Amino acid sequence: MEKSGSIDSLGSKRSSSRQPSVDSLSSTSTSRSDRSAQAKPPSAMSSDSMSTSAEFSPELRVKPKTAVKQVLRDSEKEEPQLLPNETVQDMAQDITYFCPFTGAVRGTVMVTNYRLFFKSTDREPAFVLDLPLGVVSRVEKIGGASSRGDVSYGLVCKDMRNLRFAHKQMEDTLRKSIFEVLIKFAFPVSNGLQIFAFEYGQVFPENGWKVYDAISEYKRQGIPNESWRITKINDHYELCDTYPSTLAVPVNIPDEELRRVAAFRAKGRIPVLSWIHPESQATVTRCSQPMVGVNGKRSKEDEKYLQAIMDANAQSHKLFIFDVRPCVNAAANKKNGGGYESEDAYQNAELVFLDIHNIHVMRESLRKLKDVVYPNIEDSHWLSNLESTHWLEHIKLILAGALRIADKVESGKTSVVVHCSDGWDRTAQLTSLAMLMLDSHYRTIRGFEVLLEKEWLSFGHRFQLRIGHGDKNHTDADRSPVFIQFVDCVWQLTRQFPAAFEFNEYFLVTILDHLYSCLFGTFLCNSEQQRLKEEIPKRTVSLWSYINSQLEDFTNPLYVNYSNHVLFPVVSLRHLELWVGYYIRWNPRMRPQEPVHQRYKELLAKRAELQKRVDELQREVTNRSASSSERAGSPTRSITPVQTFV
Amino acid sequence: MLTGSKTTFKVRQMLPDIKERMLSQSGVNARSRDVFGLRCLPGECVLQRAVMVRKKLTAREGRGWLSGTLFCTHFRVAFVPQDSPKPDDNADPVLLGDHDVALASIDKVVVVGPNRTKLVTPNSSLKFTPEELVLYCRDMRVICFLFDRLTPDAQVIEITYTIAKTYQPLKPGSVLSFQNAALGSVEMKQFLSNRRRDTHMNWFESTSDWEQELERCGASGWRVSSVNDRFEMSTSLPRFIVVPQKVLDTELKKSFSHFNEGRIPRWCWRHPRGSDLLRTASFQNNIYHEKDDIRNLEMILFGCQSSLCVVVELGEELPSPADIQLAHSRLRALCLGDISTSVSVPDDKWLSTLESTHWLDYTRSCLRKASEVACLLRGGHLTVALQEAEDRDVSCVVSSLVQVMCDPHCRTQRGFQGLVQKEWVMAGHRFYSRINYHRDNDKEEAPVFLLFLDCVWQLWSQYPSRFQLTEDFLLALHDSVQLPLFSSFLANCQRERCKRSQNHGQSYTPVNGWRDGPHPDSSSDPCDPPLPPVWDWALQYSKHRQDRFTQPVPPSPPLQPLLNGNLNTNPDTHKLTDTIPGSVFLFSRGTFSCPANLLPWRSTSSGIYKKSHRRAPSSEGVPSLERLLKAWALTEIPQGLTSNSGSQGPLDPFEPLLPVLMGPCMGLWKECYLRGALHAQAFSHPISANHPHPVERLAAEVQALKDKLSQASAGPDVKPPIKTAERRLTDANLNQNTNNGTFLFPASRPHGTCVSRVTAPPTSTNHQHASSRGRPPTTAAPSRSSHRDNSSKHTFLFGHSSSTEARPDQRYHPAPNTAKLPKSNGSVAS
Repeated sequence: MEKSGSIDSLGSKRSSSRQPSVDSLSSTSTSRSDRSAQAKPPSAMSSDSMSTSAEFSPELRVKPKTAVKQVLRDSEKEEPQLLPNETVQDMAQDITYFCPFTGAVRGTVMVTNYRLFFKSTDREPAFVLDLPLGVVSRVEKIGGASSRGDVSYGLVCKDMRNLRFAHKQMEDTLRKSIFEVLIKFAFPVSNGLQIFAFEYGQVFPENGWKVYDAISEYKRQGIPNESWRITKINDHYELCDTYPSTLAVPVNIPDEELRRVAAFRAKGRIPVLSWIHPESQATVTRCSQPMVGVNGKRSKEDEKYLQAIMDANAQSHKLFIFDVRPCVNAAANKKNGGGYESEDAYQNAELVFLDIHNIHVMRESLRKLKDVVYPNIEDSHWLSNLESTHWLEHIKLILAGALRIADKVESGKTSVVVHCSDGWDRTAQLTSLAMLMLDSHYRTIRGFEVLLEKEWLSFGHRFQLRIGHGDKNHTDADRSPVFIQFVDCVWQLTRQFPAAFEFNEYFLVTILDHLYSCLFGTFLCNSEQQRLKEEIPKRTVSLWSYINSQLEDFTNPLYVNYSNHVLFPVVSLRHLELWVGYYIRWNPRMRPQEPVHQRYKELLAKRAELQKRVDELQREVTNRSASSSERAGSPTRSITPVQTFV
Repeated sequence: MLTGSKTTFKVRQMLPDIKERMLSQSGVNARSRDVFGLRCLPGECVLQRAVMVRKKLTAREGRGWLSGTLFCTHFRVAFVPQDSPKPDDNADPVLLGDHDVALASIDKVVVVGPNRTKLVTPNSSLKFTPEELVLYCRDMRVICFLFDRLTPDAQVIEITYTIAKTYQPLKPGSVLSFQNAALGSVEMKQFLSNRRRDTHMNWFESTSDWEQELERCGASGWRVSSVNDRFEMSTSLPRFIVVPQKVLDTELKKSFSHFNEGRIPRWCWRHPRGSDLLRTASFQNNIYHEKDDIRNLEMILFGCQSSLCVVVELGEELPSPADIQLAHSRLRALCLGDISTSVSVPDDKWLSTLESTHWLDYTRSCLRKASEVACLLRGGHLTVALQEAEDRDVSCVVSSLVQVMCDPHCRTQRGFQGLVQKEWVMAGHRFYSRINYHRDNDKEEAPVFLLFLDCVWQLWSQYPSRFQLTEDFLLALHDSVQLPLFSSFLANCQRERCKRSQNHGQSYTPVNGWRDGPHPDSSSDPCDPPLPPVWDWALQYSKHRQDRFTQPVPPSPPLQPLLNGNLNTNPDTHKLTDTIPGSVFLFSRGTFSCPANLLPWRSTSSGIYKKSHRRAPSSEGVPSLERLLKAWALTEIPQGLTSNSGSQGPLDPFEPLLPVLMGPCMGLWKECYLRGALHAQAFSHPISANHPHPVERLAAEVQALKDKLSQASAGPDVKPPIKTAERRLTDANLNQNTNNGTFLFPASRPHGTCVSRVTAPPTSTNHQHASSRGRPPTTAAPSRSSHRDNSSKHTFLFGHSSSTEARPDQRYHPAPNTAKLPKSNGSVAS
């Protein structure tokens, strides 16, 4: 056995084969196909353009309801179609874009309240860069770098790329550089402006704000039942302002006791139900750390509460508490009043640390990864450079943790409690990944949307702080790629189980692109309460409105609805891969070699067509044989349609 | 099901039966069958068997466990699943069953006891009863057998000893005795000599074979010369070589001495744009160049292209055989871990350790060189001569990779087999020394061919739908290399093969070159057995496994079997008009140069050509060529692929498949190297799934529909067969699940309970997944409703739906009625 890895202990004492088998499908054969899921319809792609953000933005896909006003009369077809309420703020000629892959390009720049649009004037076909301003993390003026009086600007982006532009020194010193204008609109929050999502008024056939309803999601899981009830104690966010209004708690704990439990949990984030196993009634519950402190404080109510969670599951007389942090960090939290449950205080509970590092470590890891992949990749040391970022190692630990949780619930029929410090970063990663492994519903497109709405948005993952929407303070220590890391883990799962997910890679990339774009309201604010206060559902469009209006683009053609299957991924680094389709997508040489995605679609269409013809012919034959009924022995049953796996 | 006690009772009666051995050895019942269902080869006898053994299935096989009987003969370790059908006694002998391992493939035998792991050698003694037997194979497979509680301890220990004693210890004569065990019997010899070779592939053995290739490539101006018919000109070259038409044999004879080992420039392949690919050894420098010689040498080198020749020097940038050997042994150690201690490289060092093997670097450099050559050839009318000192290692890799990239024919199974015949077997790659079957020549050992297979796999994984052959085929070839049974690999050149074949019949051309004496036990004639070529897949693989060597649906764009080198010339490609006729450039490290001593006879010492070619090392020529290559380097991806996908008609089929060689794009061939890695057993289950490419599966389904359509349009009379075929497929799937399910081990050890929870991955042809508790295999026609009943059960999904639908009888051998799968029905009909 390899020494590293927390998986080994998963195998625990009972000999190996007691464990359900785990699997990995990292066959390279599928790698291309998955990567090409990112490939877009050829129409949207100018062969030379390296910027794919244009292709990913919705206006190319959904025909706007209203005719978009043509801003530039003299423009050719390459001009952007402006979104509703998008207005041009500034334009400039003779801008040089320093493409790290193809060299300097000259062209024009247009800045709107939503995007930066660069179009080359010296290349055929035109080189186009279409960048939502939301992805800009910082703008640096690199003054005096050039002797010829050029002014140079560097744009550091949140989506793993840096862009550099230059233009001549302004002769009219009063005139602002276009990049000064850009700064204003790239950081609307810092400049007292509104985020574009509040202005974007596109209407989609689907209303994404209706995708998630807490009550009906709990109902789908069978809650309320004899052991779990739904409480409205947090209806006005008084118990916990970062929790949703609807919570599921054990039946025999009255609301008054919940308040006392809340007093003992950091930020009042009490243990609440995330998921319940339909058969064994084993549950996944989430919370924040107990306020144990240096003196080892105890709370009778909290102990009783966890006992109630355990008792709600008749199958097991044990409870697993997964503290997601490394043991040292958990202990260090005692100084700040936090800490972890002691096994003395919580009888029948077993505490397990999952060794996942905090948001700062993750941020640093992704920064290193960016250094390694953008713009240039050092081929001869690629693997060791990748290793030194530790990114895949973190992914592995997160997946391994989620796997242990899923395994305890599924195979051990034991309920689990998951927490980190505050229970909104690592806890969200782990509960949502475990739920993805356990429940096939979350592997559908709508189910995944529900999962995000529930475990991330309603339970208060602080998107505003972690991403820093419209905020120029790029060094903010609260920023961290926690959610990106989660989506990466999901992608790893889709790689190992290519037919188990209804969505494709493009779906995941789209979610990440609009995490930054600020076009949709979905990822704005830090909690349900804030979103309600800002009237986000009223004033903005949901990302799910856009996605659910054109599901065919996001559907995995190979999806098989394996209901009730549990996924156990292999979490060894040997079977994890870097998500090149996301992290290295700006490199034009990383384009998929084959339009496999295209071929999926062709084959699917072909199959549908052939199936239709088979049916028609079948009908014809049946009719004919019915009319000439004297023919004996001919089969009367119609041929069943070919069973399909897609 | 059989109860354990009953089975063991039987065994005790039978075991070890000397009479039985004598019977089977006598050859009377040559097609004998062991009582437990092992179909022995003629002359093969069972040395030991153990009942109630479970074999761990890899992901490729569908995962889980299979119960059956384990055998050890003096040729193989065989495993016969409990419910496998009775073998057909009249069928042709198959060397290895689906679950068998040849003894010669076994590298190490390890047993796992209650608390320990032990490497078993022929001399070691066991102090505990093993619970698990792990066979580490040379081909990097790891095969694991579990001894059930019901397996008698005596059998467990005995079979472990037997395997440890009989597997190929490193001693002289072992290979020969192994060959004799497999092929040495009179019946087997007879069977092999009556075997027909595959006529659908080019074997490159006769003049007509070569002429056929010239015609296929549209290579005019070249002819097949039999000047080396008796290997008098060059011992390592094949009997027939392709040379320019205008060079006469008498002139040709004089040129051999100018090249290392007499390996003169020979034609390999013509690009449809009219460029020729040549291979040559390095020049002999210390030789006097007569005027006539020089004329001939130039003619040979320029072939039919009077304008331009580019010599591509392979030695500098590509790994040496020693490098390859070192990298491969490191890779092997990394992937398999330290076998005796069961310690593998920690996960957090995996990537850097993989990098430090340099294996991926070497695949990259071979692919890069081949891409450069492919681009050169694409450029138009020139001759590209690959030059390596001996012309027997990396030049095989590069020349064949170029053809795989450029010629769709080489991406079919038969075409690829022909390619290996042409560029490796006939061209004199020293398989025998490089594979080092005898383990007596470690200095020469180098898996150059395996490096090549890895390169092909890289190409395949980047362009899966442009290949007709599949990963399964590459794997089969990879594994066969380690089996010392095939004439293709057991010689260093055609001369050695021919020498040996003179002792035997005509059909196969086995090898000469044994240093071992005849095996003392071989009762038959003292001469070595005739060896089959590796391409006789039926000897190793059952029909359904061979079916998986190729894509079910032809790749798109469709293959064009005939190329015409003269018609396909694209006028607007860079024509090297500004180069002077007769220019020779050296291509090395990505740039062109004209070193004065490139062609030894043109250097100052021989003044004859100096005059006429004073302007030859033209400086203008160099930039133009470089421009050409740079243009290609920038657009590494064929434009057609990305800009117009599908709708705008097929691509030029000869556009080279240029692989992306960036770090993140070079993958590790996990299906091959990580098949049995230790870490995978963290959950005590094999991993590393394999499945056909999703597109292939979709394509297979479209094909099935097409077949169905043709059936339907042919009228109702044809319907019944497909109906039953469809039904059988479902049955097989269900059985597969049951095979894996509870009813095999209702009362096994506690940890066996997990088995009952495992269901086989749902198959793609079947929406409903069957539960683990299905019906026994013999029950026919399960109702749909039973599926539905079960589908509400909570089950596991191990990996995505594996490819089981394509080979439903992987674990379950269909009942002996000859119902076929719809797919095979269809292909037969169409």
